[in-house]
Amino acid sequence: MPVDTKRVRGPDESQSPLVFLPPTAQTCEVLRRPGDRGKGDVRPLFARCGLVSQAKGSAYIEAGNTKIMCSVYGPRETERKDDTDMKSGRLVCDVRLAPFSCQKRGAWIQGSEERDLSLALSESMQPGVCLHRYPRSQIEVNVMVLENDGGVLAHAVTCASMALADAGIEMYDVVLGCALRQDGDSCLVDPDFSEERGSWQAGYGENQGRVTVALLPNFNQVSGLHADGEMREDTLTAAVRTCMDGCHKLYPVVQQAILRAVKRKAPPPEK
Amino acid sequence: PPPVSLSSLHVDDLRVDGRGCEDYRHMEIETDVVSNTDGSAKVSLGHTDILVGIKAEIGKPRPMVPDEGYLEFFVDCSANATPEFEGRGGEELGVELSNTLYKVFNNRHSLDLRSLCICPGEHCWVLYVDVLLLQCDGNLFDAMSIAIKAALFNTRIPKVHISEDEEGVKEIELSDDPYDCMRLNVENVPCIVTLCKIAHRHVVDATLQEKACSVASLLISVTHKGMVTCVRKLGRGSLDPDSIFEMTETGKRVGKALHAPLMELLQKEESLGKKRQKVGFLA
Repeated sequence: MPVDTKRVRGPDESQSPLVFLPPTAQTCEVLRRPGDRGKGDVRPLFARCGLVSQAKGSAYIEAGNTKIMCSVYGPRETERKDDTDMKSGRLVCDVRLAPFSCQKRGAWIQGSEERDLSLALSESMQPGVCLHRYPRSQIEVNVMVLENDGGVLAHAVTCASMALADAGIEMYDVVLGCALRQDGDSCLVDPDFSEERGSWQAGYGENQGRVTVALLPNFNQVSGLHADGEMREDTLTAAVRTCMDGCHKLYPVVQQAILRAVKRKAPPPEK
Repeated sequence: PPPVSLSSLHVDDLRVDGRGCEDYRHMEIETDVVSNTDGSAKVSLGHTDILVGIKAEIGKPRPMVPDEGYLEFFVDCSANATPEFEGRGGEELGVELSNTLYKVFNNRHSLDLRSLCICPGEHCWVLYVDVLLLQCDGNLFDAMSIAIKAALFNTRIPKVHISEDEEGVKEIELSDDPYDCMRLNVENVPCIVTLCKIAHRHVVDATLQEKACSVASLLISVTHKGMVTCVRKLGRGSLDPDSIFEMTETGKRVGKALHAPLMELLQKEESLGKKRQKVGFLA
């Protein structure tokens, strides 16, 4: 390969300076969660609908430092028509992580993690939306993660449900998401980024894992379940139950935000 | 699709092809089928055929974990398998399958990645696991995970020796003996079990027909000790929490029971050595 000797080229591969931190700084033991949060507490949620004026419906969620926005377009006519589309609509979900959202700079081209999140979001949302009411159409859900501080899939699910509700798409129930990090025998609900990743030394311990559950609270049906790591089966079962409780805790906040948006769009008649 | 008889599922534990709810179809496994790879295996589960080839290359370790090697998974759904995969149709499924594999292996115990290190921070073994779908007849995840475990068992990584000369320049030397290899410990490699929910029961190893009747499935990957490394809900429907717990228990039981006969079979096949009758691709 001809080498260009006249110009001074920068390194082919650049790395974040965080890689060069001394090991002690990386493996900090999280004894107390920041903000005096208990192990079973979810982070306080800030949720608002109706952010994007051009979209049919939109929502913005902040949980700790995780910032996610979602916009919904549709129902629109589908591009492809096969047999299934004649009877029910299609939900097209797209999750993007902004390049500055994570500690390591991401690329603008959709990577495999984003495709995985999009598929997971679509599987979690489908049971909640009344797609049979929108034959031959597709509903587009676009989620943009502005800052990733843990629990991205869980909060994306909640954000997408709020956006769909804001867009007036018929749904059986709101879909809420909750994430959990299992660390040995203790579980941390709604972990932030450093808790979720854990220290790489802790990875050699037993019973390490991450669980995300998407729940329809009024029907108590689980529409999405993702777990990885290595856990015992009884730990996994307990973690799923804890996540479901976490989802129920989020419900009042989400309900209030949707009601506020509805009242603003269609204010009650003056007495 | 012809209806699955629900009453027979509930009462008699009988499926259309006569299997019980927790029975697998006839499975055939053969390793060392492709000579250009460092390890390979072919699995036929009913009419599903999967071929896995593993190539080991020397690469640079990841910055956060300088004393470990790593695995890269690629799944190719070619148009050979079904006509739906023509062009870019199979790409989505391929990405889903490989993303699931990354999740399944995303823990410290499945494979000892530190054994893949040659020189910390500079050189390590990268195992490229390439999965090829030859024929699709349902239950791709299970067959794929068994094929990967068999291929990893079959993998022979050449032993390398790092020599440093007077100027401190490191050189990698491969040993002259082609049989001087390192083998991987695949005891903890998990196997995936997919459970499809049909009405009130769940079935293991669903055919395409049975899959069409189910709205939701649960994918669970289990090691031989019964530890769960990955759980995913697939499909467009929702699941009751009790169903999930039941399915997890069944999945763990079935998955745990897969490992012992599999390892026995692999070791028996290897012990036959040169006397082994190679079946190849035509059977």
